Order: sequence, then C-alpha cells, then structure tokens
Amino acid sequence: MVLHRDTTLPLVAVNLWYHVGSKNEVPGRTGFAHLFEHMLFQGSEHVGTNDHFRYLQEVGGVANGSTWYDRTNYYETLPSRHLELALWLESDRMGYLLPGLTAEKLENQRQVVMNERRQRVDNQPYGRAMERLFELLFPAGHPYRWPVIGHMADIEAATLDDVRDFFSTYYGPGNAVLSLAGDFETETALAAVERWFGGLPASAPVPLVRAPLPPLSQAQRDTITDRVQLRRLYFAFRTEPFGTSGWWTAAVTANLLADGKSSPLVHDLVIDRQLAQDVSAYVYPTEEVGVFLLVATARPGVEIERLEAGIRAHLDRLAAPTSACTPEALAALDNELGRARRRTLAGIYSELQTLDHRADLLSQYTTLFDAPELAFREAEAYERVDAEAIRAFAATRLGAANTALLVVEPEGGRS
Amino acid sequence: MSGAGLQPPVAPVAPDRSRPPAPGGESRVPMPEFDRFSTSSGVPVFIAPRSGVPLVELELLLDAGGERNPVHLPGLSAMTASMIDEGTARRTGPELSAELERRGGTLSCYADWNAARLSLRLLASDLEYGLALLAELLQEPAFPIHELDRLRQQTLAELRRRSDQPAAVADEAFAHHLFAGTNFAHPLAGTPQALAAMTRDELLAFHRAHYRPERGAITVAGDFDRAQLAAAIEAVFPASAAVARDAPTTMPAPPGEPAAPGDGASDGSLRVVVVDRPGAEQTELRVGHPGVPRRHPDRVALGVLNTLLGGKFTSRINLNLRERNGFTYGASSRFVDRKTRGPFVVSAAVTTAATGQAAQEVLGELRRIRDEPVSPAELDQTRNYLLGVFPYGLQTIEGLSARLDEIALYGLPLDTPARYLAEVAAIRPEDLARLARAHLRPDEALVVAVGPAEELTKQLRDIAEPELWQPARAL
Repeated sequence: MVLHRDTTLPLVAVNLWYHVGSKNEVPGRTGFAHLFEHMLFQGSEHVGTNDHFRYLQEVGGVANGSTWYDRTNYYETLPSRHLELALWLESDRMGYLLPGLTAEKLENQRQVVMNERRQRVDNQPYGRAMERLFELLFPAGHPYRWPVIGHMADIEAATLDDVRDFFSTYYGPGNAVLSLAGDFETETALAAVERWFGGLPASAPVPLVRAPLPPLSQAQRDTITDRVQLRRLYFAFRTEPFGTSGWWTAAVTANLLADGKSSPLVHDLVIDRQLAQDVSAYVYPTEEVGVFLLVATARPGVEIERLEAGIRAHLDRLAAPTSACTPEALAALDNELGRARRRTLAGIYSELQTLDHRADLLSQYTTLFDAPELAFREAEAYERVDAEAIRAFAATRLGAANTALLVVEPEGGRS
Repeated sequence: MSGAGLQPPVAPVAPDRSRPPAPGGESRVPMPEFDRFSTSSGVPVFIAPRSGVPLVELELLLDAGGERNPVHLPGLSAMTASMIDEGTARRTGPELSAELERRGGTLSCYADWNAARLSLRLLASDLEYGLALLAELLQEPAFPIHELDRLRQQTLAELRRRSDQPAAVADEAFAHHLFAGTNFAHPLAGTPQALAAMTRDELLAFHRAHYRPERGAITVAGDFDRAQLAAAIEAVFPASAAVARDAPTTMPAPPGEPAAPGDGASDGSLRVVVVDRPGAEQTELRVGHPGVPRRHPDRVALGVLNTLLGGKFTSRINLNLRERNGFTYGASSRFVDRKTRGPFVVSAAVTTAATGQAAQEVLGELRRIRDEPVSPAELDQTRNYLLGVFPYGLQTIEGLSARLDEIALYGLPLDTPARYLAEVAAIRPEDLARLARAHLRPDEALVVAVGPAEELTKQLRDIAEPELWQPARAL
C-alpha cells in the first residue's frame, strides 16, 4: 500500500489496483474480467446489492472502476472524514464477496454489460475497428488480441462458477495495491488500513502471464465496412512495454507527430493539404507490449491511398538518419521535440492536480514496478527523450513492414 | 508496504463489519477566493487565484453565442468563433499556433449557445503573452477567406460524420422538435444550407456587433500575481479599444423564450418522434421538455430534485432502468443551463425490444416524483451527496475556471458557491414536491427514439402515435 498526504482540501482518494485484466482470459471466455468488475459493485457479505454506490454517494463520494488489458482498478474520492467507510467497502468485497453473489445479480449485470458493448462498440460508428486492428497487430492466442469488453457470445456464456473461480484466483490481497491520496493523518490512516485489511487471509500467487513480442516483421492489412460516411485509416505498431525508455520515446513521438495544430501531421494533412478531417496519435501504457496508434479520418472524396502515403512520408522522415538530413530538417525536428515536451509537461501538471489521478498513478507504478516514487517523475522520463532516440524508434518500430493497417470504408461505397 | 517506513500496529482488533464505520470529525471546506475588478475600458475581470501548480487558465467570454445567430444563418456564431484564431492582421493562423504551442499552450476558440469563448491554458510564466494574444485575436482577426473555405468544408464533413452517431442524431431530433421556430432548433454548428451560403462579410458583421469585451468578461484562474495581471490586462485592453470600432449602437434584442410542447404554444400532450436507423443494435432514447433559464430562482433547488431523480448513479431513473431492469448501461437526466430556457432531458441507450417499457418507466418516474412525497431520508442522501462532492471541483484550476465562468456568464454573485451550499442544505421534502409539480411535465413530454423505425413505432404507439423524422442530409 502507498500513502500520499495532501491536506489542501478535506478529501481523500482511495484506489485499488488488482493485477488482473483481459490478458488473463482465454479465447472463448473473453470479457470476463470486465463483467467481473461489474459484479464487484453488486454487494458483498455485509453490503447489500446496490449499497456500495449508495453508501459512498450519500456521504458525497464519487466512485467507479475500470478494466484494462493488464489490470482492474476500483476507486473512490470522498470527504476525508469518511475514509473508513471506503476501507470497509473495499475490504469487504476483497474478503467477503462470495456470500453476496447470486445468479440474479449476474444475469442483471450481464444485460447491463451487453448494453454497454452495444453502446460503446456495436452501435458506434467505427466501433468495431479497434477489435479488427488488434487482430492484425497480435497473433492468434496473444492475450492482447481480444477486446477488453469481450465478445458478445462469451459475455452471454459466463456462469456463476466462472465468477467464483475468478475471484478466488485473482482477487486476494497479494494481487492488489491500495493507495490513499489526500487529507489524513499518516498514523491514523495506517492503523485504519491495518484494521480493515489486516485480518484478510493471504492469497496464493497468481498465475503469471508473460507475452512479449518483437515488432511486426511483415505488414498486416485489412479493410472493413461500417455504417459511416467518412473513410478512416488506422495504423498500429508494437513498441517496447510501458515504463521502458522505448515506451517513453513512443509517447513523445505520438505528441510530436499529432498533438496541436502546429504538429506536422495536423498541419500538413488537416490544414495545408486537407486530406484529413482529423488525425491523432497516442500510445497504450500496456505491460507486455506497448502499442502506438495513429488514426486519421479522410475528407470526403479523398482516396485512402493518398492519406496513407501522406502519413507514411512523415513516419519515414522521422526515421531518416542524421547524415541524410539537411540542417533545416534537423532544426525542424528539434523545434517539434521542444513543442511536444512543453505541451506534455503542461498536461502532466494539469493531471497531477487531482487526488484520484495521483492515487491511480501510485497504484500503477507500485503494481508494475514496485516503485511508487516514479508516479511523480513522469516529466523526467519525457525530458530524457532526445531526437536521436526518436529517430531510432521510428527506424526500428514505425517502418512499413512493422505496420498493422486497417481501412474502414462506408457501407455501399459512399463518400 | 512502501512509503515512509512506518510500522503497522500489532494485533489489530477485528472490526465490526456489520454496519458502516462512524465518520471522523467535521472539517471545513475552504471557499474559493473569487474576486472581480474592471479595466478602465469597462471590461469585467473575474479572478480565482490558486498557487501550487504553475499553470494559468485565461478565458475571454463574449456575448456572441449561438442564441445571437440571425434566423437565416444557423452556425454563424460557431463559425465566427472558430475563425478567430485562423489569422490576425499581424500573423497567419499557422504562425499563431506554432508560437503558442512552442510555449506549451493550448487555445480553443468556440461558441456554445450562451457565449463565444476564447480559452487559453498556459504555463504561468506566459501570462502576459497570453493576455496579449487574446487581445490580438479579439481586436484584429483577419478572417482569411481560404481558411473560411477550409473550415466550411471541415464543418460540412463534421455534420455528415455526426449523422452516423445515433446519440448525436437523437440530440438533434430532440432539439429540432422541442425548440421549433427558434435558433435552438438547429445544430449549433449550423445547417448544410447555411454553411454553404455563409460569407466572410457576414462573419465580419457578426464580429463587429457581438465581440465586445465590455459586454463580456475575462476570467483568470491559476497561479498569477494580481497586480501584474491587472497591469497586463490594462496594457492590452486600453480604454480606447472599447469604443474604437464602428459597432451598431443597439444590440439585437435577446432571443425570446422558445415555443415548445407544453409551453403554451402546443396542445400540451405527449409526442413521440422516431428516427429510423435500420438494423441498429440499440435505441437512443430522449424524454423531456423545456426547463428553466439558469437565473430562475428555483434553479439550485431543481438541481437537488434532478440529482435525486436522474443525476447520480443511485438516482431513481438509473436504478430503475439499469439495476432493476438491465435495459441500459446508464440512464440520466439533467436541466441544461442556458440564459434562456434550456431543455430538461432524460437520456439513455436502451435495448430496442424494451424501448416502450423503458420510455414508460421514465414517464412513470416523472409522475411518481410529482405525485408521491419524497422521504426525508432520500432527500438527505441526495443533499449529502451534493454537499460532499462540492469540494471535488475545487481541486483543479479548470474546475475553478468553470465556476468563475458561470458567475461571469449569468451575472451571479461572487459568493455563489457559499449560497449554493446554504440553499442545498436548507431544502425540505415539501419543497421538492412543489418543484416537481411546477417543473416536471410528463404528460406534455417529447419522446425521441433513434433505432429501427418499424419496431420502435410498435413499441411507442401506446404513448402517442409516432411521427417519423429524418435530419436534413449534409451536402
């Protein structure tokens, strides 16, 4: 557990990471980690069905949870005088979930999750694109190949026994990190955590998933159709895992390429040549293999090949060796790097303002690296990325052969 | 255990898990320190100082929102705002954004229904640069014709893209029928016809008439020195600037109250509109009617009523549609704030086969809260929620800036936060009954559903005979 004291406001953020996500599932049983997250809000031995949210909200707490490839988190921010309420609720569902489970609750949340999938994926324009893109980026059997929310048939097939097994395997204290950030007295908070969590039995070690991958060595490509009017292009690349210098380089490169109107991709493709309606680049902070994504929506009437070539030229430009660059090109890259760093820094300052973000970062760095102090040193990691690192990253990771590329075309060939 | 190297206490006593633990002692929530002054040219400046994070948020608010659109030109306000940073008398748009972004800044220029907003986030050391930039954008925009043509094409494409999004289509259909005959019936971004016709001269005229800082406000939140700020604003918004332009001497009259169902202009009965989305996996549902203007004396109390009804996870509507029935991933209601009457709307994406039932449940919840008293315990749960979450929004400069904007925009007192807390604390169950009867009108509601029309028509026929509607297609 990690404590971070800040008494500016009478608030405390409580954040729990369980080191389990969709990567711990197997094909045919996908979406389970996420469905399970829903079940953790359905009460436990001492907490009634809808009472988790009720107890927190009636004291002015804000609570939620989320599921990701590598982890599931649960969090609440509440008035600090109610800290023990959050500890009671979190420890009860960690230690006493199973007595509260019923088939009726599972059925209700199954319907909720199926509606969540419809709302976020199936009834959303471009909603299925990421699923197809990750099938191109990751080989059969790789644990990042299926979507976190899971496939509809698998969600339908989940049973109460699955829920029980999942809980027993993954939801013990040994697979969790608890972080508190905010207004508390350290000794008092420590004693309270010990009181609520200290008596829970230790849990068995969790089966380890390790799935590193080198860059794609042969380009993968597909086209799907959707109920949309504008064509869209998705590029995906494998990078080094989150936390490595290669991952930070990927993160800076994403901002360098497409963050802000003066970034090269936005300036060239959206404003100058008007091939794209929008373009964005970002990275996933994933633990096994990092992911670098680049998404561009074509202007009506623009052929996808022109847009693709436009983006490819920028990636190749970054990868060109110093010796092949003009002094102007080198200066331009330095300018772009300065802009990306400064905007990233402003973004980090802004995010660090909230207690819930700080608590989540502390859980993240403790879960992945047993190093909570890294939570407040992200700015340094970004600062260490230089032009040479970006060049090497682009050359080894963003090449044509390393690319998974998906095109979404309008149904019936409009646009 | 990581952290300060503290030792846990030995042999903890097993806690009593059978009930929630007792809270600790009360602690005081510090009120935000809002203040205001005026420049010599009469521009109101609202400030919220906050040190600790080296950032500052600057916003120039102008009485140039979508409500000011000429009737024949929906989208003029939005386009004028978008064009503000596309070039000035001194610099091109790309030069502007390159300089700003090199400093790590972020600028967004946009209009909502109430105002045009030039909104800037900067490192605190760039405060003076930021103020000078806002003044330049306000006073010397060039409205380059090639940038207008680009933004026109981009906005037209955006309208096409929006027509692919069922939630956006539902919102558009809802506004179209609720606010028919007013500016608010059209998309804020405009219609394809208006966008195609819009000229640079019309943007210039709109700018001349409505971009008047003395009728708007500057808001500043974050890490700054007040004296330095005042001097810097004075330097870039001198007294001469306010009267220099040949603006019309009279502002257009504020738009009237929108005519809408149940608003005196209709027969006050339920109405159902269906938008066909063949083969859709789910249905986007909206239920509502016109609400109240932000300055209505009941507005704060209505926030309490709405939170209980549909404004939090444990609200009646969400517990009913999601937790009891599993019809949806989430359902919520809200009173949308505007200077004029914004909508009251319940929103959810629901299983298509359960759309009729879901709509009836929503209407049922609106009737129940009118007809049956709310228990003191349920009111207390909602009251304590609102009082408890209040400081959450004070954590960030962005949160302070949003509260300051609301005060500036609606002409609210500087101690609005303290008044809000006092009013929420004082509400009684009988107040909620009066508010529900005065402001919720389930039997005059508009129901909009976007999904497979044939199925939805069957589903919703019991409420009212559905009318089919399609939004105007983009060019």
